[in-house]
Amino acid sequence: MTHDMAASPPVRTPHRHDARLRDGGAKPPTHRNLGLTPTWHVGALAAVAAAALVLGVWSMTQVDPLRIGGAGLIDVLPPAYFVALALSLVGFVASLSLRRLVPALLTWQLLVTAVVLNGADPVIHGLPRLEASFRHLGIADNIAQTGQLDPSLDAYFNWPGFFNLLGMLSGASGAKDLMGIATWAPVGINILMLAPLLALARRLTANPRQAWAAVWIFYLASWIGQDYLSPQAYSFFLLLTLIACLLSVFGGWAWPTERTRLSRWLSRNVSKLDGAVPRQGVMEPPRTDTAVLVVVCGLILLAMTASHQLTPFAVIPILAAMLLTGRLRLRFLPVLAVVLPVGWLLFAASAFLQGHFGQLFGSLGDIGANSFGALSTRVSGSDAHVFVVYTRMAEVALVWILAAVGAFVGYRRKAPWLTAAAGALAPLVLIPLQPYGGELLLRLYLFSLPFAVCLVVLPLMSDKSAGLGMRRAIGLLLMGAVLATSTVVSRYGNDSMESFNNDEIAVVNRLYSMAPTGSILIEAVRNTPWRFQHYADYDYRALVAAEPVPNAAPLTCDAASQIARKAGAYLIVTESQQEAADLRGSTPAGDLQRFVATCATTPGWTKVYENAGGVIFHIEGVSNAK
Amino acid sequence: MPSERSYVSYATAAVAVAAIPLSFVGPEGLRLAVIGLLMLAGPGTALVLLLRFDPPRSAQATGALPLSIAIAIAFSLAMSTLVATAMIYARLWSPPAGVCILSILTLAFLGIELKRPKRVLVRAK
Repeated sequence: MTHDMAASPPVRTPHRHDARLRDGGAKPPTHRNLGLTPTWHVGALAAVAAAALVLGVWSMTQVDPLRIGGAGLIDVLPPAYFVALALSLVGFVASLSLRRLVPALLTWQLLVTAVVLNGADPVIHGLPRLEASFRHLGIADNIAQTGQLDPSLDAYFNWPGFFNLLGMLSGASGAKDLMGIATWAPVGINILMLAPLLALARRLTANPRQAWAAVWIFYLASWIGQDYLSPQAYSFFLLLTLIACLLSVFGGWAWPTERTRLSRWLSRNVSKLDGAVPRQGVMEPPRTDTAVLVVVCGLILLAMTASHQLTPFAVIPILAAMLLTGRLRLRFLPVLAVVLPVGWLLFAASAFLQGHFGQLFGSLGDIGANSFGALSTRVSGSDAHVFVVYTRMAEVALVWILAAVGAFVGYRRKAPWLTAAAGALAPLVLIPLQPYGGELLLRLYLFSLPFAVCLVVLPLMSDKSAGLGMRRAIGLLLMGAVLATSTVVSRYGNDSMESFNNDEIAVVNRLYSMAPTGSILIEAVRNTPWRFQHYADYDYRALVAAEPVPNAAPLTCDAASQIARKAGAYLIVTESQQEAADLRGSTPAGDLQRFVATCATTPGWTKVYENAGGVIFHIEGVSNAK
Repeated sequence: MPSERSYVSYATAAVAVAAIPLSFVGPEGLRLAVIGLLMLAGPGTALVLLLRFDPPRSAQATGALPLSIAIAIAFSLAMSTLVATAMIYARLWSPPAGVCILSILTLAFLGIELKRPKRVLVRAK
């Protein structure tokens, strides 16, 4: 027997022709007439989710990472994986179609979906995704050991909040190696995000059923892969909680709507566009608790500001949009959201500001360069990689088109849509203001997704709180299947370059054991799982970035010899560097093998270590020449 | 509901108390689990219990439980970040001391909660 506090039971008023009254008495309560779900239905759906979890994890253990090619994981996943994914999708839609929702069951099913979609790193590779994960571990390790920040080492030290947090965990627990946490971060972070996503969706939608569906679509369409152990993932979690808290407790107009002509006009038009806005449930805690929550929101903003350079700037337009649509009555909060990151940039990150002034403000207002220009540079590399890039663009377009349709349907149906639409569009304000290039578009998709998904599901949701209906359920299932499949392609499309193996880690460890402190360490292509220790102990260099380069020139041994000419250096070439160069087109195809073969015979170069994961050369300089 | 709140209070207090000695000494795995839990959810859970953020039984106000969980985690992480960052900028870096501050904060919130009137529920429009 299940009871859902989220959906009100259908109210039935007595009628004089009611059969029960005519028969002279009420029937005893049954599952059917109470609108409850028999326990075995719930148990069966929970079992289906459990089966999906077991099958999904087992199928991932069958993947041979060495066979992963340019199209990523989709090529090597066994059919059982897709059966598991299908089971999880069908089970969730079936639960959503129940007359009364069962929150515990839906939660379990969402967790299973999150693990099946995001569990590849720990299950298949057993190592953290992205070389940035390793760098992040190194920064935390450096802070834990020294207790100091060195902004000259890296821009990260100007926004050290998240790394300080990791450093404190490492320092206080005595755990020198947080690799396990980094490996499981994508699964853990997605599980943590369930609560704020649900709280937010509940404030942006008409009923709990739509909110659950929106959160489900978020997991299926979230291919960006920013859920690794990073300041972005951390700040995004804080952002979701902040907005959910504000909408739940501090909703309403920030000024009397009748005070001026402008406020009257604004209020009238918001009501005209979305009459549902004032009816959204707003909680009213006691006065002291409300004051405490204001302080909590301020502290969350401050922690976000200290941890990430972009997210606090994304908060500003979202808060402004909420203010202008009558969903935020704290007038000072958008002002605080401006003052904190700007103040941080001017005072705490002043070293970064001085060194990067041109980079920060050079592309100000250049919408073309920051959007389509940056996007076009991403459509390059191998054919398989171009297919992945087009899949990503198609998925983003699909989500935004469905969201636009949802906004229109919401307007026609007088269902809540305006705040979700404003929240989805607000981050786009950053396009002309930030120098993130193509990376910014990915982040903007991430920031807008929690709002957009509330609109995406709107056309498939009934206005009534009970039931979903067969046609809507099939439509939702189809949409979920398309998004989930394309997410497997787009999220894991760069898997060959973004994931690493134990042989590569062994090469890096060997490098650290043989290179004296202070040595110059060179990577051929910037994609090496290193710096997770000894972050400040060596001079790290790269010959070429793992970025698309039109008509890329071949690598020359001379470039590395030049770097090593004074004191010598160590050069490391790994399997993932090779994958990155081929995938992104940073060097001509197959150039890295030729580079290794040529340099091995160059005078002054000595191959000092080699395994299946890579090779290390020692390059003699003037001071250590024989 | 009151008994559920009590269990959560006891568990939070136990984690906060255990984290103090474990921040100095103990098996690495246990220290990581307890201190990690404190930094992830300790002060925030105590704060949410203090706020009486109970989910009222009305359709309009649903979302209070996920919001409570989200605030509990976000506040804990934010406080851990701010304590660690303050220690770095003040050149007083001491991770065990930072954990002790978080434990004391958690226990202080739980102590205040004990003194508050018991039935002040969140109302919903």
